[in-house]
Amino acid sequence: MSETSVSISTPAEDQPLSSLLIPIGIIGALLALVPLWLGGSRVMMGVSILGLAFACYVIAFNIIFGSTGQLFLCVGALAGIGGYGGAILADNFGLPMVVSIILATLMATAVGGLLSYVSVRRSLGVIFTGIVTLIFALSFETLLLGLGEWTGGDNGRLVATGRDTFLRDQIPPYYVMLFLVLLFLLIHGLLQRSYIGWAFKALRDNEVAAELTGIDVAKYRVYAALIGSAMLGLAGSVYVFTEGRMSPTTFGFGDVDVVVLVMLAFGSIGNVFGPIIGAVAFTIVDEILIEFGQLRTIAYGLLIMILFLRMREGITPLLNKVWQQIRAK
Amino acid sequence: MIANILDGLVFGLQLGLLATGLTLVYGLGGILNMAYGQIAVIAALVVAFSIEAGVPLLLAIVIGLLAGGLVGLILDQTILRPVYRLHEEPRVLLSLLLTLGLSFVIEGFLIWQFPLDALSIRIPGGTIDILGVPMRTGSLLASGITLVTFAALFLFFRYTSLGMAVRSVIENEEGARLVGVRPNQMLRLILFLSGVLAGLVAVTRSMVTPVDTHAGLSITVFALIVTVVGGLGSVAGAFLAGIILGIINVVAADFIGSYISLIMLLVAAALTILIRPAGLLGVPE
Repeated sequence: MSETSVSISTPAEDQPLSSLLIPIGIIGALLALVPLWLGGSRVMMGVSILGLAFACYVIAFNIIFGSTGQLFLCVGALAGIGGYGGAILADNFGLPMVVSIILATLMATAVGGLLSYVSVRRSLGVIFTGIVTLIFALSFETLLLGLGEWTGGDNGRLVATGRDTFLRDQIPPYYVMLFLVLLFLLIHGLLQRSYIGWAFKALRDNEVAAELTGIDVAKYRVYAALIGSAMLGLAGSVYVFTEGRMSPTTFGFGDVDVVVLVMLAFGSIGNVFGPIIGAVAFTIVDEILIEFGQLRTIAYGLLIMILFLRMREGITPLLNKVWQQIRAK
Repeated sequence: MIANILDGLVFGLQLGLLATGLTLVYGLGGILNMAYGQIAVIAALVVAFSIEAGVPLLLAIVIGLLAGGLVGLILDQTILRPVYRLHEEPRVLLSLLLTLGLSFVIEGFLIWQFPLDALSIRIPGGTIDILGVPMRTGSLLASGITLVTFAALFLFFRYTSLGMAVRSVIENEEGARLVGVRPNQMLRLILFLSGVLAGLVAVTRSMVTPVDTHAGLSITVFALIVTVVGGLGSVAGAFLAGIILGIINVVAADFIGSYISLIMLLVAAALTILIRPAGLLGVPE
């Protein structure tokens, strides 16, 4: 069935574009103010930049998992392909930084797309997709340790390219990452308003019904994975050039994927603005917990359990409710 | 080469037993227990502390196994309760996420309280020649215990009415319910058994190499790989896959390098999912 023969409009399509642009503008303005407050501290700026990188990861994961139900447990690995790939292309092969970032992003996109294509073709379902991608993530981590010549193994490696540019200053990288966050939010928002977003919603709500109305479920799953993986590769790559170093834990399963899951659950799955709220809230909570050492791991675990047990909808709907009550008054 | 294969067998038998605990719970209850490795670590630490407190070795081991089983029962009574209300994929997914959270809680607590503790059981006696290869007594004893356990499991599932009741639930839950088997009780029994098996693996492993506080995640990952290759819910599959993967692991580590060997196992699991999602001995749906 051709795409034009389906002519059901969604509420999102009917809303004016301003309902997307205004929240993004507000989020951008608020986050742009953070360096005024924390700009003096190199450590706090580092935490903030990492927080924004995670916001990018969560937005991407939200598109893949939240929109089309593919449990990609290789968020860190895909970002790592961008990060390690970009650094190796630039430092070891002498390519310009921008070219390296683009190529590394394409590599992550291809790998993510392939994982999705294979899972969809074999109709693996949520759990098996999760296991296959987890296996990929663990293999990637093991490879990083094994290929020490390129990756520096356990200790990680430095990134020489970009050393003398604004990317290594204290504050400019923050705005570079913020630009990515806002760009990704905009892309996700626009996607949701397009036919693709409508198809995502349909196949999330009822896959069989979606298939019966002529949506090529397989195709849209792969689209979502391609878009999300491109975001992951780009964010990982850019982050590494601003940070100047990386190690396997920068992209490890326990260090990235678990945190991304918590952030997404924190913010609400499937919602455009959930990821940014979850990422900011979690970055703050994490910073408070950092002095507690192992207690932080325990808190992570409890948080995961509580979030998925009690607040499966996240805090974004809660904030929405509050907002609507304020407006009603 | 023979030495490699024998070492692989020792490791493979443990992998098989490890996967058995995970695969039974999945096959019976649709629960993927990501805290499985941490249960093994708890059991190992309980044995280690009992020995330190002067409890005789055998009794300490029994206490450790019971502790593992107890954790299984506690899971059944607490965080798995909301999971039981769901079915099919959402059920597996929620169980995976909740036990993943639990694994962080347990691991965080254990590393916080007992960062340097480990269980290492020394078996006296040097080496015994098998097919011309000197094998350590500890490895042989560990393999012996594992084989006996497999035999006992086989007999239990084949010939006792309780074992058959468990199998009936794996085959067809609704049918089992109709003939008077209570799936919930069977699941509780299997969660207990799974905890005991996790403990047993920790104990036999510690006869070959120390099991420390940080071992949880790698135990879970190994169990998951073997479970996937063997077929979810199949004890015989877990046994077979364990032995095959154990040999692959040791041979690959010897010929190529230890980091490749883990990747080989992971690739084996990925290929199994892609080529035969039901696993070696699982029943294709």
